[in-house]
Amino acid sequence: MKPISKNRFDRLIELASRRAAQRISRRSFLTRCGGWLVASSALPLLPVSRRAQAGDAPQKPPQKAKGPFASEFANQAQTKDPTQCNYWRYCSSDGYLCACCGGGPSTCPPGSSPSPTSWVGSCINPDDGKTYLIAYRDCCGKDSCGRCSCLGQEGDMPEYRPQVNNDIIWCFGSSSMVYHCSSAGLVGLAE
Amino acid sequence: MRLCRGVVLLVGAGALMCHAQNVPVGTQSVAAGNVPDAVTRKTGLRVAPMARPARIYAENCEGCHGWAGVSVTEIPTLKGRVGYFARIPEGRRYLVQVPNVALNPSSDEDIAAMMNWLLATYSRAELPADFVPYSAAEVAQLRKARIDVVADRRRVIAALVAANELPSSDVLSMPHASLY
Repeated sequence: MKPISKNRFDRLIELASRRAAQRISRRSFLTRCGGWLVASSALPLLPVSRRAQAGDAPQKPPQKAKGPFASEFANQAQTKDPTQCNYWRYCSSDGYLCACCGGGPSTCPPGSSPSPTSWVGSCINPDDGKTYLIAYRDCCGKDSCGRCSCLGQEGDMPEYRPQVNNDIIWCFGSSSMVYHCSSAGLVGLAE
Repeated sequence: MRLCRGVVLLVGAGALMCHAQNVPVGTQSVAAGNVPDAVTRKTGLRVAPMARPARIYAENCEGCHGWAGVSVTEIPTLKGRVGYFARIPEGRRYLVQVPNVALNPSSDEDIAAMMNWLLATYSRAELPADFVPYSAAEVAQLRKARIDVVADRRRVIAALVAANELPSSDVLSMPHASLY
């Protein structure tokens, strides 16, 4: 067969088109395209675990441990969103949540620094029903954050038990006594 | 036909994924040390179970004295120091009569276990060779007394130096002791 053109590129294209015409059936594109369409629409229907999406909805944790717990706070608590007052670690937190102020539940926002002293309480995790020790460490050295004011009072004692009191500004030993927000870092798992 | 095979393959893969992801969040993952928590899952932090004396220390002392027994200058250092006090009877008595130990709401048993744990954990090298662990009965007896902390501490340190149990009073010095 005489080639249509002498141009190398044209010949290459011609060869490819002829081969395609000879080897691939007329309906093969439709078959494949249809296959992909059906497969991609059927994939989300498969029984795949969707725990991540389920967590976004503001509802009770999907897999709760046996409740109700001895702690009133834990019965209402969730483990997904640290910017809410009912996040499980805040059962004894009194103040502004660092998670709402540019930090996290256990990190200080930029410009403030963690106090070297803290008070340690314990909260029940509603997902596994176990008790964890939580260090309530204030972030200091910057004016009050003012966002997400929360008051948890589990295990909170009057001021004459200062080591377990959350009304105190826990900035002792830090360079500034100015309170910014409260963090809640994990210390350990109580046996 | 080919399409059919493809769908079967996809369903099979889906079933496999489903099986792999539906590990229970409860006991199993915690046994491995993970906390069921959105933030912790991201950082991969694991927390170890704490024995009861360590928990008593954490809940009542750690906030100020620090998890490693070292804190700011206002707070007495435990690490490498507290064991010296156990070398003489007055010091042994003093450790339990310090107000935040004596007046702590914990039981005598818990205080005794916590003190023994604390001494062995933070200051084993300074303990006397013949150290006898505190008993609940001893703690119950000792914690009845109320002491003047600053004066008593000064007396105990002088007695330690006199008994040749402490090289110098500087070893247990506290820059801020006068504040109290």
